Amino acid sequence: MRVLFTGINHRTAPVELRECFASAGDTGSHLEAFRTRFPGCECVIVSTCNRFELYAARPLHGKPKSDDLLTFLSERFGVPMGQVASASIHREQDQAVAHLFRVCCGLDSMVLGEPQVLGQVKRAYQTAAEAAAAGPVLHKVFQHAIATAKHARTETGIDAGRVSVGSVAADLARQVFADFADKTVLGIGAGEIAKLTLRHLMGLKPHRLWLVNRTHQNAQALAEAIHLPASIGGAQPWEQRDELLAEADIVVTCTGSTEPILTPQRFKPILKRRRYRPMFVIDLAMPRDASPELGSMTNVYLYNIDDLQSVVASSLGQRGDQAQACEQHVAAAVTACMSQITHADLGQLIQKLRDKLNELGRDERERTLKKLGQHPDPQALDDALGEHTHRLINKILHLPLSQLNQHHSDAPLGFYAAAIRRLFDLDEDTGAKAGPAQAPVKPPPGVGVDGTGSGQDKPAATSP
Amino acid sequence: MPLANPITTLILSALTVLSVFATVGALKRLRHPERAFTASVRQRLIVAAIALTTLGLFIRFWLAEGGWQPVTSHRDGLLLMSFMLAGTIFFIQNRARLVGLSAFALPVLTFVLGWAICSSAWTYHPFDLPTLHPVWRGIHLAGVYLGTACCGVAAMAGGMYLYVQARLKRKHNLGGMGLLASLEALENIIIRAAILGFVLLTLGLASGVVVISEDSTSLPSGWWFTPKIVLSTLAWLVYALLMNVRYAIGFRGRRAAWLSIIGLALLLATYAVVNRLPASTAESETDPGTEAAPTVSSVYPVEGG
Repeated sequence: MRVLFTGINHRTAPVELRECFASAGDTGSHLEAFRTRFPGCECVIVSTCNRFELYAARPLHGKPKSDDLLTFLSERFGVPMGQVASASIHREQDQAVAHLFRVCCGLDSMVLGEPQVLGQVKRAYQTAAEAAAAGPVLHKVFQHAIATAKHARTETGIDAGRVSVGSVAADLARQVFADFADKTVLGIGAGEIAKLTLRHLMGLKPHRLWLVNRTHQNAQALAEAIHLPASIGGAQPWEQRDELLAEADIVVTCTGSTEPILTPQRFKPILKRRRYRPMFVIDLAMPRDASPELGSMTNVYLYNIDDLQSVVASSLGQRGDQAQACEQHVAAAVTACMSQITHADLGQLIQKLRDKLNELGRDERERTLKKLGQHPDPQALDDALGEHTHRLINKILHLPLSQLNQHHSDAPLGFYAAAIRRLFDLDEDTGAKAGPAQAPVKPPPGVGVDGTGSGQDKPAATSP
Repeated sequence: MPLANPITTLILSALTVLSVFATVGALKRLRHPERAFTASVRQRLIVAAIALTTLGLFIRFWLAEGGWQPVTSHRDGLLLMSFMLAGTIFFIQNRARLVGLSAFALPVLTFVLGWAICSSAWTYHPFDLPTLHPVWRGIHLAGVYLGTACCGVAAMAGGMYLYVQARLKRKHNLGGMGLLASLEALENIIIRAAILGFVLLTLGLASGVVVISEDSTSLPSGWWFTPKIVLSTLAWLVYALLMNVRYAIGFRGRRAAWLSIIGLALLLATYAVVNRLPASTAESETDPGTEAAPTVSSVYPVEGG
């Protein structure tokens, strides 16, 4: 089996393109579509506001190839093929595995070492496992990735002392406002990252902090989660959001709306009502809640998730040592993981080779028996020939198989395995068929949602 | 026209060079705040040296004149302004969130020092003090020079406001903004400095009008429409608006910052017009042998140096 990865992320694709991927359906439907199109393949989709990544495992000479994956993404999300191709990255085998490991460790995040992405990968894996889209290969890869990320984070401390989006938002608020004793904060939506940001903003001791949500109970739950004192504010009805916007100096928005809820048309009368007092708008949603045009309006300072994360990233130059140590962990873990995958593949290959040779031996034995004609004890003769054939096959196989099981730096295992497949015409379909489609695979223990949160790379769709 | 003491010119030139040096350091520090410590110490020493030296020169010239009037020429006024600006910069360098303001204040200080060199070495002209009422003259000079210094502070804050706002809007290099004050704090500085400047300018202009009206017979016709009157009135109106931007819809933030800069530009233009316009010299040249009459130029002694 080959491990593939194709996807877009904050480094390769602009926020507009990521919005297209984030707003089109849920991960379950994407997995179903993938399995319908490529039966017998394994698939896990990691979809956050920073990335949309598709990990697949397919038979060696089967589909999908990289072009098939790009076509799938293009058709599925209605984005022109050229745009997807130019904004996506494609990796195979150890490079694909290494990418996943780096993502889990937070090495590929805009905020170096941020922990939220690990929880998001866990949830993506759990979703794929429940949908029986993850098979033996991806189970192994994802379990390794999660375990490696935990180990690397503990060993290197890469996620310690980090600057978060919430703290950057609070710092930027301090750059706009000097005194918060007369300022009002408004939270729209109840996403996880909004909760973290509001906690930081509460540290500024604002005069008022209101929360609104389409589902009022969610706003109340958020108020409780951030321990918002009733004397400062609380949950307000969704219908009053315009009145609250006119009062608010800092707005944190993080809804799951697929269309912008803060548009220039809505904002102009609000700004006039507030006499053009400065307003700091933090848009943490993906797709974005605030139209980009808002940022050019008088005394409105609009920051989206990319803006905040780029500020965070720029302040992390001094953490190169931790990143380097983490990269070493990843490199060692990738080698171990790929070795296990290859050996699992090799076990199946050896079994197939044995079966093939045994089949040949059986044919030859029957032919020999026919030539020998009548024998006083046909059963004894048959047993003797059978043992002879079996021993012969074992002796023939012993040397090449023992060589295969030894590691030679100058002789990649995959090369010999491919050569054996080719030389002995050992098809890989059997292994693939025994993959994800056969039986639902339960998620392995220890990979369920553990409350790590979905802050930095929040799931694409968050209910408001 | 008497040439000033060359030592004074030399000292002022040295101060100007130091100020340029400090300006470059402050601008670099604005871009790379992490290289702060040595640059900060050097800058403080330079600013302290400029403040003390200009104060020393100002007192020396005051004592040399022998009277109670400290400002007897435009050069003295510029020295007073330089001292006040340097003192203000020294103060803000000790305020964590205002340190960046020195990058906007030091160029103004450099400009004023450079102007003081010109006033000292080439365009020195003592005010026509004996012809003016001493009390009104004192109020006028103090009001105009101190008011201009306050307006200078407002303009510096305005410049920094525009810079901070541009960085926030463009979202460029936001990592090192620790040296920069918040927009709200800068707007507060602009408004407070504008209020103080407006009060002092009002005193200065009102006392100037009183001085003029004392001898209205010597005023040429249409004096109220001369460039200096128009420019100073415009500047006064700008600061009248600026101190009320919080109540004027549409004038907050960026526009207030620009108003503070425009106001200072108008004041500087008034000084420049009064110093360079041929009207004053033309009138005095008509009768060079007689004692200078209190013309429009002389009743505005601050501009008549």
